[in-house]
Amino acid sequence: MKKIFIHGIIAGILAAVASLIYCNLYQSTLGVSFDKIINIGSVFGSSIFGCVLISAAYSILFKFKKANLQGILNVIIVVLSFASIIGPFSMSLPLDIEFPEMFPGLVVPMHFFPALAFFTLSPFFKQSSFKS
Amino acid sequence: MLNNLKNKKMKQFSFAVLVGATLMLSAFTTINSVDWKISNDYSIKFKGKDAEGIFKSFTGDISFDENDLNSSKFSTSVDVSSINTGNGMKNKHAKSDLWFDAEKYPTINFTSSKFSKSKNGYTVEGTLTMHGKKKQIEIPFTFSSNTFNLNFSVNRMDFGVGTMEGMSKKVSNEITLEISVPVTKK
Repeated sequence: MKKIFIHGIIAGILAAVASLIYCNLYQSTLGVSFDKIINIGSVFGSSIFGCVLISAAYSILFKFKKANLQGILNVIIVVLSFASIIGPFSMSLPLDIEFPEMFPGLVVPMHFFPALAFFTLSPFFKQSSFKS
Repeated sequence: MLNNLKNKKMKQFSFAVLVGATLMLSAFTTINSVDWKISNDYSIKFKGKDAEGIFKSFTGDISFDENDLNSSKFSTSVDVSSINTGNGMKNKHAKSDLWFDAEKYPTINFTSSKFSKSKNGYTVEGTLTMHGKKKQIEIPFTFSSNTFNLNFSVNRMDFGVGTMEGMSKKVSNEITLEISVPVTKK
């Protein structure tokens, strides 16, 4: 059970690192800056939170010995990740931020990184998870 | 010989007085100048129900003299495409033909016709042109520390900006404008 949360935390860190690399690449390539809204702390915080939430859902699944529903849980995780992109599209940024139309392009991919990182690391933690 | 010298000195003195007087008058002319240059740190904010933002581009000619309101004149223009609501989709929507139609009506203009003193400052009457429609309006304003502050509201339906149907009716008719224009003497 403990390992599923370690899985979540490591996946969260991985997602945060990927997000920061993408963020720097996006901002330097397109010449925009959203540093007032996105910073290292918020990226790490939200990525780890997202992955720990996925871990919690998995732990509930294993607690009730419903490992066979793992596929459905994965679909729910992806659907929720997709639904969460409504946030950046509807968000109003501070008025002194230039090019707000470029903001969703930066943030939307990041919403998929936690699930992607979690699924990528799953084979390394799978056996342990099923045992617990 | 002595007379010639006196005449020459008199002419020199008269010339010096003339130059001095000209310089003094020109100095007073500069002090009384009423032309103002708009500083870069102006702000044009608008606010209504479900609509809030700024216009980033503003130009114009401002002549204003507190002691001579008759010679004062505002002729200003706001670039519609500089609208910023903080949301890219809303910006695009605001510039579209459903709202301001920035392509067809790229500017919002105001030209003053009359100034008067009011209880708290001044009032300017003039023509506001927006979305191809003109309307006479009165705008109260103050002028202190070389900054014009204008607070007033316009009814967007008077100018045919948006509709009151569908999602558009979520935006209130009355839109409040808060304009601050710091200026320096030209």
